[in-house]
Amino acid sequence: MTAPSPQNKPVAVWPLITAVAFAAAALATLVLIDNQKILGLALAGIAAICLAAARFGGVAATEAAASENPWLLRGLILIAAVAVLFVLRDDNFGLLMVATVLIYATVCIGLTIQMGYAGLTNFAAAAFVGTGGYTAAMLGQKGGLPDALVLLGGGLVAVFIGSLLILPVLRTRGHYAALTTLAFGVLFNVFLDANELLGGPQGLKIPGINLFGWNFSNDLHILGFTFSFYVNYVILTGVLTALAMILAGLLDKSWIGVWLDVVRLDETAASVFGLRIGTWKILAFTLGNFLAGLMGAVYAKMTGFIAPANFTFGDSLVMVSIVILGGIGNRWGVLPAALIVVLLPEKLQFIQEYRLLLYAILVIIILIARPDGLVARRVRALRMETR
Amino acid sequence: MVTITKRAFAALATASLLPLAFGGFDAAFAKDKVKIAFVGPLTGALSPHGIGGRNSAELAVKLMNADPNTKYDYELVVLDDECKPNIGVQVVTKIASDRSIVAAVPHYCSATAIATVDIFNRFKLPMVVWAAVLPEITYANKFPEVHRVSGILIGQNRIGAEFMKARGYKKFVSFVDSTDYGKSMNKYFTQFTLENGNDILGTFSVPPDQQDLSAELTKIKELNPEVIYFGGLTPLGARLRTQMAKFGINAQFEGNSGIMGDAFINAAGPELTEGTVTFFDSPPITKMPGGKMFTNAYKAAGYSEPPEAYGPFAFIATNLVMETIEKVGPDRAKITEDLGNVKDRPSVVGPITFDDHGQNITPLTTKYVVQDGKWVVWEDSEYAAGKRKLKNLP
Amino acid sequence: MGMIGQHLLNGMMQGTIYGLVAMGFTIFFGVMNVIKFSHGDVLTLGAFGGLVAVWATHSLGLSVPMQFVAAFAAAMLLSAVAGAGISHFLIMPLRNAPPLNMLLMTMMVGTVLREAIRLFFPNGTNPQRFPELLPSGGFNIGSSFFRTDALILIVAGIASIGVVYWIINRTKFGLAMRAVAEDVETARTMGINFARVIPLTFALGSITAGFAGTIYGLYYSEINYGMGLLLAVIGFTAAIVGGLGNIWGAIVGGYLFAGLQTFVVAAIPSMSDYKNVFAFVLIIMLITWRPTGLLAERGSERV
Repeated sequence: MTAPSPQNKPVAVWPLITAVAFAAAALATLVLIDNQKILGLALAGIAAICLAAARFGGVAATEAAASENPWLLRGLILIAAVAVLFVLRDDNFGLLMVATVLIYATVCIGLTIQMGYAGLTNFAAAAFVGTGGYTAAMLGQKGGLPDALVLLGGGLVAVFIGSLLILPVLRTRGHYAALTTLAFGVLFNVFLDANELLGGPQGLKIPGINLFGWNFSNDLHILGFTFSFYVNYVILTGVLTALAMILAGLLDKSWIGVWLDVVRLDETAASVFGLRIGTWKILAFTLGNFLAGLMGAVYAKMTGFIAPANFTFGDSLVMVSIVILGGIGNRWGVLPAALIVVLLPEKLQFIQEYRLLLYAILVIIILIARPDGLVARRVRALRMETR
Repeated sequence: MVTITKRAFAALATASLLPLAFGGFDAAFAKDKVKIAFVGPLTGALSPHGIGGRNSAELAVKLMNADPNTKYDYELVVLDDECKPNIGVQVVTKIASDRSIVAAVPHYCSATAIATVDIFNRFKLPMVVWAAVLPEITYANKFPEVHRVSGILIGQNRIGAEFMKARGYKKFVSFVDSTDYGKSMNKYFTQFTLENGNDILGTFSVPPDQQDLSAELTKIKELNPEVIYFGGLTPLGARLRTQMAKFGINAQFEGNSGIMGDAFINAAGPELTEGTVTFFDSPPITKMPGGKMFTNAYKAAGYSEPPEAYGPFAFIATNLVMETIEKVGPDRAKITEDLGNVKDRPSVVGPITFDDHGQNITPLTTKYVVQDGKWVVWEDSEYAAGKRKLKNLP
Repeated sequence: MGMIGQHLLNGMMQGTIYGLVAMGFTIFFGVMNVIKFSHGDVLTLGAFGGLVAVWATHSLGLSVPMQFVAAFAAAMLLSAVAGAGISHFLIMPLRNAPPLNMLLMTMMVGTVLREAIRLFFPNGTNPQRFPELLPSGGFNIGSSFFRTDALILIVAGIASIGVVYWIINRTKFGLAMRAVAEDVETARTMGINFARVIPLTFALGSITAGFAGTIYGLYYSEINYGMGLLLAVIGFTAAIVGGLGNIWGAIVGGYLFAGLQTFVVAAIPSMSDYKNVFAFVLIIMLITWRPTGLLAERGSERV
C-alpha cells in the first residue's frame, strides 16, 4: 500500500495511526462535552498526551511516518473525518462549530500563504471574508445563478477588491503594511454600515446552499441514521479545507515556496537572484484573498444571515491570532489554533461576562509559553535528492 | 463577591421558606428540572443592558423556584450573543438543538434577533424576545415560535412626534447612531415629524463609539434647531448631551427608549439632563401592581448592576415562559401554542396581549421628563404643571 | 463659512489628543521596535485613575486646583506604572519573538485592561462623568465660539509635547534612550543600564497617555472603558502616517487625521456616515505615496 521508502530502514506507521485517531477523538470530545469540569479534565488530558508525545519522540515519529506515507495520512484523515461525522451526526451545534472551525482554518491557510510564506501583512482578512459573504448575498438576491458560481463569485470579488490594495501592499512593508490593511478593514466596516443598498447595519438574509440539486438545508438519511443538515456544510467545508491545505502544501514544497521564502526573508537577495518580487507577492496576496472570499460566501450561506458586525477589525484580529498561535508559516498549525480560538469562547460561556477577559489572558499565556506557536514552522530541510 | 451575596440570598430565601415547605418537602425534591435559556449581550458596550436583563431573568427563576407550589424546578441557561448576528446564530443553534431546553428569552439587539428567528422556527423552540425593538423581528415573518413583550419602536416615535407638536416645536435636528437601531429610529421619527408638518433641518448619523462630536455639533449650531432628537443608546446620548452644552447649544433634548435608565442621568449629570424628554414603552414599574415587589426583590438579591430599562421586560418574559410551562408542561410545541393565546396578562409593565405575529400590542408608551436627576412621568412633573419649562419653547 | 474658525479649533483639540497618543506609539517603536497596542487602554486606565483622584480629593474637601493637580498626578503615575509593568513582565520576555506576536500580545494586554476596567470599576460598563475642573464658558470671535477650557487644554497638550521633546533631546536620560534606540549592544558597552532605560522609556511613553487621558476627560466631561481602543487605532495610524520613530511625524499625523475627519463633516455633512471611509481612504493613498511615512523614520529600515 505504501511506497517503499528510499532509505533502507522502513518507518513505522503506527505512530501516525495513533496520532490521527487521537486527534479525531480529541476533536469529538471537545465538541461534545459541555460540562465544565469534565471539559477541564479532558483539556488537561489532551495537553498532557501532546506534551508526552513531544517529549518521547512521538511527534517526530508521526512526522516521519506522515512524510513517508502521504497517501496513508490522507486515507487516515478521511476515515477519521467520517468517524467524527458519525459520532456528531445529530448534534446540530457541534457540527455548526466544526464547520465554523473549518471555515476559519481555511481562511487562515490563505493568511498563512500571505503572511507566513510571502511575508505580507493582512489585518483585513474579515473584510475579504465579508466581501465574499456580501457577494453571495447579492448574487443570491438577483437569483438565477447556480450556487457553485455564487461561491466562486465570492472568491473572485474578494480578489478584485483586494487588487485595489495591491499597490499600497506592494509599496509598504511591516507596520506600514499593517496600517494599510487595518485602515482598509475599518473603512470596509464603516462602509457596510453606511450603505443602504447592502442592507445597512441590519444585514441581509441569505438562503442556504443548493449545489447541483443537493439541498444543504435538508437532513440526510443514510443507512437508517439521520444526519443533521449541518453535515452537508461540514463535508463541503472539509473538502475545501483539504483542497486549500493541499494547495498550500504544493506551494510550500515547490520552487515557488522557496522563492516566497527568499522574498520574505531578504528582498535584496531576491532581486539579486532576479526574482520578480512583485509577481510573487501579488500571487500570494490574491490566493489568500480568494480563499477568504470563497469561505466568506460559504459562511454567509451557512449562517443564513450577514451583517456588518460580523466583519469587524476585531474579527480580522481573531484570524491573525489563529495564524500566530498556530505558528506563522506552518499550515498544520491553523487547525488546532482555529479549534482553540473558535471553540474556546463558546466553551467559556458559563463564565458569562468574564469570558473575554479570561480569553485574552489565555492567549497571553500561550504567547509567552510557546512564542513560536503551537506547531512551530520548521526550517526548510535541504534534501540532497539523488536521482 | 457578587456570587457570594447572591448565594447568601438564595440560602436565606430557602431557609425562610423551609418551614412553609416542610409539608411538601418530599414533593419539592421530586420536582423535575426544566431548562430555559436567556440570551443577551454580556460583553461589549451594550453589556449593562444584557447583564441587567440577565439578573432580572435570574431573579424571576429564583422567585419561581422558591415557591413550593410549582410543578417544576427551573434552571436558567445564560448565553452571550455579543450583539453580533453570527454569534447569535451560534448560541441559538446551541440552545435550539439542546432538547432539554424548552423555551428561550432572547436578545437585546435587533439585528441579532432578525438573524436568529429562522433558527427558532426551524427547531421549533418557543421564545419571547425581551428587549429588541425593530418591527421586522415579529412582522417580517409569521413564525408561531416568535413572541415579543417589548414594544416596537414605531409607537414611541408616533407619541413623541405628537407630544413635541403639541408643545409647539417646529424645527428639529435628528441625531442618530449608525446602527440598525438608530437608522430605524430615524426612519420613524422622520415619518411622523413630517406628517405633523414640522421641519427637520438636518440628519446626522455617527458610529456609536465615536467620541468627538464637535464637527457635527458645529454644524448643528449653525442650523440652530429648537429640538435635537436623539435616536441611539445611552453612551452616545450622554456624550451628545454633554458636548452640546460645551458648545453652548441650548436646544431641547428629545430621546427615546435607548437612553431610558439611570445610566444616562449619571453619565451626563442631573444639571444637563434636566428637562430631557423621552418616550418609553412602560410606565414606572413601581406604580404597577407587583412592581414594588420586583424592585425590592432585585435589591434584596444583591445585584451590583441595575436592572436597566429592559430588566422588567426580561423579568416578565421569563415569568411568562415559566407560567406557560406550569400550565402545559415542558413541551416545546405546547408552549408555542399556549403562548399564542396570551391575552391581557397582567405584568409589571402593563397587560400583555400577543397579536397573530406574537407581538405585544398593548405597550403603555409613557412620556418621561428628567426632573432633579430622576425620570418622572410627564403628567406628574412640574413641567406639565407649568412650574418648570422645557427649553426653547416657542 | 463663518464656521471655519470653529472647525479649526475643534480639529486642533482632537489633533492634540491624537498627537499625544501617536507620540507614545512612536517612542515605544523608536526605542524597542515594538508597536504597543495596549497604549490606548493604558490611556483609559490613566483617565479612570484621574477620575478616582478627583473623587478622593473632592471628598477630602480640597480645592478645585488641588483636584486638578491630583487628577493629572494620579493619571500619570498610574499609567507610568502600568506602562513600565507591561514592558517588564510582558514585552521584554517576548522581545526576540516575531513583531506580529508582539502586536497580538499587546492587543490582548489591552483587552485585559479594558475588560478589567469594565468588570471591576464600580458601574464600569456605563460611561462615567468626569467632573468639570476648568472654568466653563468661552467667548465669541465672529461666529466662532472659543471654549476657555479647550484653549487651556490645547496649550497644556502642546506644552507637554514640548516637554517630552526636551526630555528626549536635552537630558541625559534622553541621550541614553536614543543610544539604545540606535544600537542596543553599543549602548551597553558604553555603560548604559539597559535594564533601567527600557522600563523608564515605557513609563515616559505611558505618562503621555495618562496625560492625554486626563485632557480627554476634562474636555469631554465623560470617560468610558472602551475609549482607548479607537484612540489606539487612530494613534497608531497617526504615528505610521507621520513616520514611525519620528516624534514630529507623530504630531503631524495626529493633526492630519483630526483635520481629515473634521473636513469631511464640515464639507459634506450629509455624508457624515462616510467620514471614516474618506479619512482611511486618504490615509491609504498617503501611505502608498510615502511608504515610510510623511516624515521618514530616522535610521535604517526597521521591522
